[in-house]
Amino acid sequence: MKEFEYLAPTTIKEVVDLLLKYKNKACILNGGTDVVIRLRERLISPEYIIDIKHIKELKGINLNIKEKYLFIGALSTMNEISANEYVKKYYPYYAEACHSVGSNQVRNRATSVGNIVNASPLADSATPLYALDATLIIEGQNGRREVPIREFITFVRKTVLQEGEIVIGIKIPLYENTKGVFSKNARRREVDLSNVCATIVKIGNEYKIAFGAVAPTPIRLTKTEEFLKNKEISDKTIEEAKELAIKEVSPIDDIRASKEYRLDIVKVIIDRSLRELNQGGE
Amino acid sequence: MEYKINFYVNDEPISLVVKPNHTALRVLREQLDLTGSKEGCSAGECGACTIIVDNKPMNACLILAPELDGVHITTVEGLSKDGKLTPLQESFISHAALQCGYCTPGFLMSATALLNENPKPSREEIVDAISGNLCRCTGYKRIIEAIEDVVNSKEGR
Repeated sequence: MKEFEYLAPTTIKEVVDLLLKYKNKACILNGGTDVVIRLRERLISPEYIIDIKHIKELKGINLNIKEKYLFIGALSTMNEISANEYVKKYYPYYAEACHSVGSNQVRNRATSVGNIVNASPLADSATPLYALDATLIIEGQNGRREVPIREFITFVRKTVLQEGEIVIGIKIPLYENTKGVFSKNARRREVDLSNVCATIVKIGNEYKIAFGAVAPTPIRLTKTEEFLKNKEISDKTIEEAKELAIKEVSPIDDIRASKEYRLDIVKVIIDRSLRELNQGGE
Repeated sequence: MEYKINFYVNDEPISLVVKPNHTALRVLREQLDLTGSKEGCSAGECGACTIIVDNKPMNACLILAPELDGVHITTVEGLSKDGKLTPLQESFISHAALQCGYCTPGFLMSATALLNENPKPSREEIVDAISGNLCRCTGYKRIIEAIEDVVNSKEGR
């Protein structure tokens, strides 16, 4: 690991000022489960590490009943999220996704916001947030702005974050009568990266279908969603949805799985999730 | 660049000057001579470096030294008191839940953190709690049984 200066600001404003001052020489450190590995492997070599864990405003998971959303602060760890009573009540599949990341030790450090800002195509905690149309709250020198997660991640490890901006949390809308299924296909159950991950949420008679590791960013399968809207789920519609779904994804061959295998898994996940969401009547 | 940090290791207050680009694991092993925590993968996958930080198991290889300021750490050296091993350590011995022993401190820390939080875990919860620790010798069966035995014994941990 190359040497750097370690900074531990206590307010968001300080972080923004530091980011503006040091620009691309600075790197934000949250849980560090990705950043520390990248530092060690010299994939990044910042001159300044800005540890944001001492900023109280970034802590906590809060329910806003009036405006109907749940706020996940940037410092919320995977374990805090998966054990949170509101997350378990409203979005159990998001809790499951957070629990599927790494190991218990990693989940005590890693954060969902960090997972999103890293913008990996296979971010496990991303697909529930894609399906739920979550928005990221970003603070910079000109105040706050909100960006839908689908617009936030633009490519592999690329986001819309501008110079001097920091993600302070995630806003997840509250929906009535929803059910969802999170799926993760990996070589082993724990401490592994996804070959394919997905979340399918049913809201009323509509489906929100999000897949990870099948394109440069996590994606929503909007054509398949449109096809399934208000449809009776039968063997025939499931078959048609599967064929439509594999046309919307563009997986690659890599160290974890082949393109063909991933396409097959996309079909399997669509099949199982749609059946599970339509079990035992509405 | 050097940083002065104050923290607790096995209930003992420590004041130390550390390098920002050193990990917590390196601080423990090289500055404090606590070599129980092991370096395996250096990437948060094997769990050989597991320590308990503010009651939670974490990988010491993924924590930067300055991040230790203000925390309470327990390492495997802090488990026994006055030369007396904990029931969990005794159970690992009586079950022969180790062969080469390289992974053992990590397993003990993950299992200790679990039992501190939940004295009566199910087998499934035990397996879940140690799934971030790799052992290439035992096949896990005896490790799980050693932990189960402590759960089922009267004295608890």
